[in-house]
Amino acid sequence: MASDAAGPVFSALADPTRRRLLTAIAEQPATATELASQLPISRQAVVKHLSALSDAGLLERERSGRDVRYHVTPAPLSDAVSWMAEVGGQWDERLAALGRTLSR
Amino acid sequence: MTDRIERELELPSSPDEVWQTLTDPAWLTLWLADEVTLELIPGGEARFRIGDQVRSGWVEEISPPDPAVGVGRGSGRLAFWWAHDEEPASRVELVLIPIEASRTLLRVVETRPLEVLDLVGIPLPGLGGATYGPALVAA
Repeated sequence: MASDAAGPVFSALADPTRRRLLTAIAEQPATATELASQLPISRQAVVKHLSALSDAGLLERERSGRDVRYHVTPAPLSDAVSWMAEVGGQWDERLAALGRTLSR
Repeated sequence: MTDRIERELELPSSPDEVWQTLTDPAWLTLWLADEVTLELIPGGEARFRIGDQVRSGWVEEISPPDPAVGVGRGSGRLAFWWAHDEEPASRVELVLIPIEASRTLLRVVETRPLEVLDLVGIPLPGLGGATYGPALVAA
């Protein structure tokens, strides 16, 4: 059930630093060390935030040598692509209809 | 994040005329949906039947065109949230930008999280008190 999973997602996203981290990782998968160098917070704090995001199911871990690389869970992203295609197509049709209506 | 659609269309009408097509159910049924209920107040009900699909939600902002705002700047804004069944809710924003007396640019932006994360937690009437946050995991 989506509602059961909502709790961890809400608490994970309630924090602005975690939202920034999630946005950064969505743009490019990264390790905690890399993220700490981009943001004004310690690596230790980054690890803690990444752990909260992972627990909420928003991030996946991937071993990269001695480090762990984080990337955004792929399912919501592929969903985003199909959402954009569908919703974009709907607006194209609606706006074409509006244009025809107002050009009469 | 990328859950964002933006479209623009130039229309041969004044901002007031375009505003009417965005807010008057009789006009809305000509281009947006088959049946429309739109309470023109913040927090008001927004309900659209499109074919056999019903989308319900609420009005976030409604600001009619202001003649004092000059050409090329946003004047007239309607924002509402809608969702179909258990699907993630999204936010639709329609903005009018006057070009000249009888030409108006309409900009449509539809967004879903994560673009609007700062709004996480906003209750969505009509979905049993659900918020749109769960969309992230339901997707």
